[in-house]
Amino acid sequence: MIDYQYIYSTYNNLPFLIKLVWIVISLLALTIAFMSMYLKVIRHSLRKKREINIKFKTEYESLLVKYLYSGDDSEKTTKTQNSIIESLKESVKVDSKRKIILAVLYDLMNEVSGEMSDSIQTFYYKTGLIKYSYTKLKNKKWHVIAKGIGELRRFRIKKASHRVTKFINHPVREVQKETHLYMVNLFLFDGLSFLDHLKTPLSEWEQIQLLETLQKFENQEICNIRPWLKSTNNSVVLFALKLAKIYNQFEVKETLMELLSHTNKDIRLNTINVLTHLYGIEAKDVLKTNFNTLSIEEQISFFGLLEKLVMPDDEPFIEEHLFHKNFEIQLLALNILKEINIDKYMGLSKLSKKEKSTAMIKSENI
Amino acid sequence: MNKKKIVLAEDNTTLSLLLKFRLEKEGFDLFMAKDGKEALELIERNSPDLIITDIMMPFMSGLEVISHIRNKLNSETPIIVFSAAGQEEMVLKAFNLGANDFMGKPFSPNELMIRVKRLLKI
Amino acid sequence: MDTSSVKIILQILHVIFFGYAFAAILSYIILSVISGKETIEYSKRKSFINYKDILSSTISPSITIIAPAYNESLNVVENVRSLLSNHYVNYNVIIVNDGSEDDSLERLIEAYDLEKTEYIINDKIKTQPLRAGIFKSKNPAFEKLMVVDKKNGGKADALNMGLNLSKSKYVACIDVDCLLLEDALQKLIKPFLDETETKVIAAGGVIRIVNSCTIKGGKLMDINLPKSLLVKSQILEYLRAFLLGRMAWSRLNGLLVISGAFGVLDKEIAITVGGYDTNTVGEDMEIIVRMRRYMEEKNEKYRVSYIPDPLCWTEAPDSYKIFISQRNRWTRGTIETLKKHRKIGFNRKYGSFGLVSYPYWLIFERLAPIIELIGLIYFIILIILQEVKWEYAMSFLVLSYLFSVVFSLMAIYSEELTFHQYKKKGTGIKLILLSALEPFALHPFILYAAIQGNYDYYFNKKKKWGNMVRKGLSTT
Repeated sequence: MIDYQYIYSTYNNLPFLIKLVWIVISLLALTIAFMSMYLKVIRHSLRKKREINIKFKTEYESLLVKYLYSGDDSEKTTKTQNSIIESLKESVKVDSKRKIILAVLYDLMNEVSGEMSDSIQTFYYKTGLIKYSYTKLKNKKWHVIAKGIGELRRFRIKKASHRVTKFINHPVREVQKETHLYMVNLFLFDGLSFLDHLKTPLSEWEQIQLLETLQKFENQEICNIRPWLKSTNNSVVLFALKLAKIYNQFEVKETLMELLSHTNKDIRLNTINVLTHLYGIEAKDVLKTNFNTLSIEEQISFFGLLEKLVMPDDEPFIEEHLFHKNFEIQLLALNILKEINIDKYMGLSKLSKKEKSTAMIKSENI
Repeated sequence: MNKKKIVLAEDNTTLSLLLKFRLEKEGFDLFMAKDGKEALELIERNSPDLIITDIMMPFMSGLEVISHIRNKLNSETPIIVFSAAGQEEMVLKAFNLGANDFMGKPFSPNELMIRVKRLLKI
Repeated sequence: MDTSSVKIILQILHVIFFGYAFAAILSYIILSVISGKETIEYSKRKSFINYKDILSSTISPSITIIAPAYNESLNVVENVRSLLSNHYVNYNVIIVNDGSEDDSLERLIEAYDLEKTEYIINDKIKTQPLRAGIFKSKNPAFEKLMVVDKKNGGKADALNMGLNLSKSKYVACIDVDCLLLEDALQKLIKPFLDETETKVIAAGGVIRIVNSCTIKGGKLMDINLPKSLLVKSQILEYLRAFLLGRMAWSRLNGLLVISGAFGVLDKEIAITVGGYDTNTVGEDMEIIVRMRRYMEEKNEKYRVSYIPDPLCWTEAPDSYKIFISQRNRWTRGTIETLKKHRKIGFNRKYGSFGLVSYPYWLIFERLAPIIELIGLIYFIILIILQEVKWEYAMSFLVLSYLFSVVFSLMAIYSEELTFHQYKKKGTGIKLILLSALEPFALHPFILYAAIQGNYDYYFNKKKKWGNMVRKGLSTT
């Protein structure tokens, strides 16, 4: 028999602090008991959900495959296709199922092109999925908006462009990024017009995504990148430099030469890189003259350029730098010398160990 | 006439289902694998007439699969490779190792069909 | 000394103990709340990230995976294969065979068709010299692999050799037996590419415990909760530390450590600060602190990032002996690092790094075992003197125990609602029981190991890494 009287009187006699502690203890104990029971509930529901989802996904996948292969050559959907669409319309209304349907379509758009992707787009329209994407755009939460834009992009809904461009100056960077990606995906180089007025920096991640998108579509005309190379937004300049390299923009060489004296070191470095790729002989002379004012990274980069564009009259310059304080430059200079004047290179081995540079000593051991 | 056998190695379930459906409709016998190791097991067991493999797969990459088929198994079976990483480097490596054809993703299943038939000389 | 002054001293001691405990619990509550918020925000951002773009991009940054290996011949071939099949494009792997006395090198040469090549090493960081040399594969399928055989110098020295040899922008330092998930590199490089104004100098993720999981061909097939209480408890401990602790510190930009099992660093900065310190057993923590200090002194905006995704699975000690040895080493590492960089502590010049991170580590990590030991001794003395006020003692003991259980449950909830790796039936109950048992199974040994670590640090300078017996990744 639990003696409640005893417990009660003992409790009352405790100092205040301890009473408080025991109250907290009881609360904690209750929380623990509740959390333990609820954990089982959560796990059970997660498990059930997963099983339902897997089952649905398998059914849906085979329906989708059937749909994709029961089209005819006409623009219209066939009877089989329509019945499949009808049967899935109900599922689209259910949140969890809609997520699966979208995810599978999403993945598939990545893998297949041509007629099949057009079929998928029709499917997206006719099942009503598009309405849900539009609704997402009206949401207040930024991640929902971004998701909506992403869907419209993935299913190539050009009609939505006026709705999407509204978000181009959205305060959250992710939303802006999705807008940019949408425009580039659907309008290719024309979609890059946002670069003209961009005030915020473009992250490397976004630049990669934009470039990958552009490269997916072959046979397009690149637009004029010169204005972007002159932008006041440094990340836009860097992006334009990447474009110059990937699309072999020989015509912007002059602008690139100007960038060699840009205030930002990163830009200068990347410019040397691009000029190397574009066989910018003119840059060689400019940089040679200013060599000693360059930072170490630029100097190393320049030797990379030299390696590719070396001419016999560069020999004195190279010899000058065989003993440069930086090991990498020593090594680069040594290797270039080997290319252009093998006799002189062999002659170096006759030097005494004290007279040799670190690079020379190490190369000899090879 | 015996059906031609094809081993398909791809880890995206929807895509494999899609391709399986199409290839079986065209009259081929399909063996599906989800990764490089499974693919090699199927190849060794079934001696297929054609192999279609993705490059980016769990555990053993498609490149290693090609290398294994050409060098360790000394087999001349035609191989078609596809991959999302459709850069020059990957393509060159695949061909250097002995692949017969390469398709970058996203690709058209119709085009794949044409290439399959061409390699099998149908 | 008269009774009243003794009483005063005792009062002060009481205040210190209870104040400390209270502060510890409060700090944990704050960290948990911040972690919760950060996790939710991360899930939102994550729902539409597409990692596939970066896979095929020619401008994705280059990463070198550096994996030091010592006497790993049992699994080295499988581990290397796993590292080579990562889904990133622009990366290479350098295995540094650190003077192994077994046949690791021979096995690798055979399995990967390796041949010796000549290489000029730019040793920006001094390391132990090469032994058998540098090897690359004749087979183009293994073009990404480089094996370096050098004289033994320890993990830090091996990593430094890797730093010297790498031509990439970033280095991923990994334990060779860590099972790296296919998308680990993509996920971990993203923080570096996301930031525009701030420079990310290092990034880490979650390390999961692989004991009892099924691995087939270097791929994680089945995730199981181990039977061993010791290992299970460590899993819970890692969950608390990663999901409730590090998430918060990352948001506050106060991370002092990236797990040594797997982390990505900016190579230039790592080399500029001098590479890993070969004189400490806590080299993974020490280099991060040194890199942070460098950036603080340069007064440039930077951060150390953290992502909560599981990236790599590694083996945890399954015997108490090895466990204690590991925690002993961690303790010594912490002491060494904090001592080496004590200038940062409470120093306004180092911003929140010096005013929040460092003090927190000092007070709640480094000093915790000492204070606990003193408390324990004091309690025992009280018992002997029969001076114990049991109502106080009991209530506070029960209180701290229950708090520990609640935090564990919170970590479990966090895990269930985010990555949900332990899906099997019946695991739920096991995890709940674990929350109840873990304080008893783990804490006394951690305390013991920490005290031993302190002792070894001050009185036993010769001790170094100790042994971790490899069971291999192919166990069930």
